[in-house]
Amino acid sequence: MLNNYIFIPIIAAFFAYLLNKKVKYTGGIITSIISAYLLYNLIGLYGKWSLIQTIDFSIMGNNLEFILGNNPLSWLFALMTASAGLLIALFSIKSQENYDLSSAFNFNFLILIGSIMGVIFAGDFLSLFIFWELMTWTSFYIISGGTKKMAQKSAYRYFVLSAVGAYTMLMAIIIIYNQTGSFAIGEAAQYLINIPMGRSLILMGMMSLPFLTKAGLFPVHIWVKGAHGNAPKEFSPFLSGLMLKVGVYGLLLVFYLLPFFKVMENTISYRGLPILSYIFASFGAITTVTGTILAIRQEDMKKLIAYSSISQMGYILMGIALATPLGITGGLLHMMNHLIFKSAIFLTLAAVIYRTGTTKMYEMGGLIFRMPVTFATYLTAIIALAGIPPTNGFISKWVIYQALIEKGYLFLALAAFFGSIGSFMYVFKPLSTVFLGQLKPQHEKIKEVPFIMQLPMYVLMGLMVLFGVLPGIQMNIISKISSQLGIKSVNYSLYTIEGAFGSWNSMVIFNVFTAGFIISLIIFMLAKKSKLVGLLDTYTSGEYMNDAEAYHYAYQYYRPFDRLFDSFAAKSLTRAYESLADNLSKVGNALRKGIITGNGQTYAYYTVLFFVILAIAGWII
Amino acid sequence: MIEMLITAVKFLLITIFSSALGLLFMGIARKIIARIQKRYGPPFYQPYLDVIKLFGKNAITHGFIFDFGSIMALGGVIATLFFIPIGGWYLYSMSGTVILVIYLLAIASLGMAMGTVGSGNPQASLGISRALTQMLGYELPFLVILFGLIYRYQTSSIVGLMEAQAGGFMNWNLFTYPIATIIAFIVLLGMMGKKPFDAMIAPSEIGSGPVVESGGKYLGMMMLQKSITIIIELALYVNLFLGGAENILVFTLKMLIVWILATMIGSLFPRFRIEDGVLFYWKWPLMIAIVQVLFIIF
Repeated sequence: MLNNYIFIPIIAAFFAYLLNKKVKYTGGIITSIISAYLLYNLIGLYGKWSLIQTIDFSIMGNNLEFILGNNPLSWLFALMTASAGLLIALFSIKSQENYDLSSAFNFNFLILIGSIMGVIFAGDFLSLFIFWELMTWTSFYIISGGTKKMAQKSAYRYFVLSAVGAYTMLMAIIIIYNQTGSFAIGEAAQYLINIPMGRSLILMGMMSLPFLTKAGLFPVHIWVKGAHGNAPKEFSPFLSGLMLKVGVYGLLLVFYLLPFFKVMENTISYRGLPILSYIFASFGAITTVTGTILAIRQEDMKKLIAYSSISQMGYILMGIALATPLGITGGLLHMMNHLIFKSAIFLTLAAVIYRTGTTKMYEMGGLIFRMPVTFATYLTAIIALAGIPPTNGFISKWVIYQALIEKGYLFLALAAFFGSIGSFMYVFKPLSTVFLGQLKPQHEKIKEVPFIMQLPMYVLMGLMVLFGVLPGIQMNIISKISSQLGIKSVNYSLYTIEGAFGSWNSMVIFNVFTAGFIISLIIFMLAKKSKLVGLLDTYTSGEYMNDAEAYHYAYQYYRPFDRLFDSFAAKSLTRAYESLADNLSKVGNALRKGIITGNGQTYAYYTVLFFVILAIAGWII
Repeated sequence: MIEMLITAVKFLLITIFSSALGLLFMGIARKIIARIQKRYGPPFYQPYLDVIKLFGKNAITHGFIFDFGSIMALGGVIATLFFIPIGGWYLYSMSGTVILVIYLLAIASLGMAMGTVGSGNPQASLGISRALTQMLGYELPFLVILFGLIYRYQTSSIVGLMEAQAGGFMNWNLFTYPIATIIAFIVLLGMMGKKPFDAMIAPSEIGSGPVVESGGKYLGMMMLQKSITIIIELALYVNLFLGGAENILVFTLKMLIVWILATMIGSLFPRFRIEDGVLFYWKWPLMIAIVQVLFIIF
């Protein structure tokens, strides 16, 4: 039954905590076993789309009904959660051997998995909200357990933003409950269609705020950099790969199941897209551009990839806000692919941090000769992220481009192009500065990470190429989701996806690529064998070089480009929010000084005033 | 089995033809530049001699990533070549290839970047950082123009875009969308690293940037890669804007005209600073391209 997916991890969390206190490594092992168990059961759940479970609960005479339901969308997210949980738990078994809070990490992580399952399977708003809050709390605890100084502050910022969103959602839920007398999502959807458009728009706006926040989208993306950059190294893959996607789940819920798009259907539209949907898509475009520019500037590799996540989330929002068959397909494909390649990138960074203990890119270099598997995974993942065939990232980006060109959304497409070409720049920066270049003397003795940490990397590497060659596997579930959301599915086969203006065969691309590679390899092998020399034995314009540390180009890699955007980056949205908060508290202080004078007579006036108002009110009524 | 063999032979023939043609173009360019600078210049077949000589020389390597990068760079361009119609020849022309080609070219760039940075020479890293920055400059106007063409002709295959211009030279995009053609030409200058957009190879500042550590067969492979890249870029341009051609001779002639023009213009200007080059691309070609495409989509 569906409640097992929620409560088994939550119960196991306590065992994991207690056992891990006694014996090292057990927490990670329990988390892996539970995730594997969930994954195994989820595979059996495929196809049982009409499964609905209701739990009646009565409290002080009031009857509450919790509904859990399985549908293709929920199933996909549950599968993603369980598999991401499994890979990260496997990785964390060994990587947390020197981490003091590993018991608490596993405790929170298991509850987090359970609560995400709850959010995903929830068929009513009450359970959605309860598990949503549980998810926020546990992830807050995990982030604040980061070893960096800024971890607490970033976690706090994450929590405050999430809380603001969550309470606006709660408000909307209560308003809807007042009118319909039910928490069920289906009934709320009925209600929202039939009331005046203005009201339902406000309600849906309130409803979508927490999801926008969680997905890290403009204008509430400011928590992402700090939280991703300062979270424990094992948690960043989950945070970026999966937790951002839970926000996307919520947005899909608001857009399609509480049918925002149906309400908007007959309003003013731009090129066939309601203007409000276009605004949502523009948020995606702004997110993409901002994330790209700021990612290129970063010197901290985790923060760089965090901004990259922001930018990639923009693509997903653009895709799902278009509400065309290609748009939704591209958005969902990119969401799955982003989970795969972004967790791969963060895992490789975690492996680097595990060995070197730093996240500053200019403090590293030349790790390729020490950590080849990590490097290979990172390389495959950035090829996927940059959208280069034959990996999965190309397919989803291509579908999104097709969706944008189909309707002629020039400015959205421009943002997508900018994000894509810009991603070459920012993903190459860690490749060049961390893995290539001169090896630092203090890193001479570094070894590759243990096998149990390499295992998730191999799996993810395989998935990136597999889905890059056979996108039809993903399309099976995505076409089911499309029909669930009431959108026509695109035509596809195992190797091809039919775009608006043509298609290609990914198997052919893969074969041709292999052929080109083989021809090139033959040319290389035919020539004379070359002599291996050291990295310091290079052309130095006549200088004598023996200091590897000074001979590594890493700091401010794209300075010429950054100069173009210095003034843009100085206008930080975070600071804008902070000054807004400052001003609010100043206004509050001024008001307080005006009202709370400390003088007894003023309070007497207030009392009199209060009675006068009461009298007037009573007289009117 | 026989079919596979035939395909393999076709692969090899196209590779050899394009690299030979590319090297010839490079030789012609050297001659033209020399004449503009009032020199006699090397013979037009000099690049062939260079490549043959380079493959016979002893070379040094800086580890496996250096080797892997150069193989990946050459392999990437060879793979891209098979998706581009050259004259009447096209092996794999699928209906959605135009964006694919741009991304496949990126494999080669990534391979070259990785290999050269893997040598550990900071000058190479500097060159790559400049090249990637410049890429963000010139790709945007080009992709915007492509967006317009795809939307206008409702197809994203190169062959489809070529056939859409069939029926007399007045149907070429050169005459139907002259502004787009000119912008694409400016983009082409940047793609091929012609002056004024050659800050990434700047021989006098950063020791030729990406090429700095390559010698012997590595430089030979890089020359081959460069020659094939020239053919890919010129072929793409000819197909998209000059109506392509059914005949390989006519096609080569068109490519040659574009190449000579690009070389001549490229030898006139001084070099842009890298951010000025990017800013130039965004200020003029991109803005004009957006206006042009707005006309197309409305």
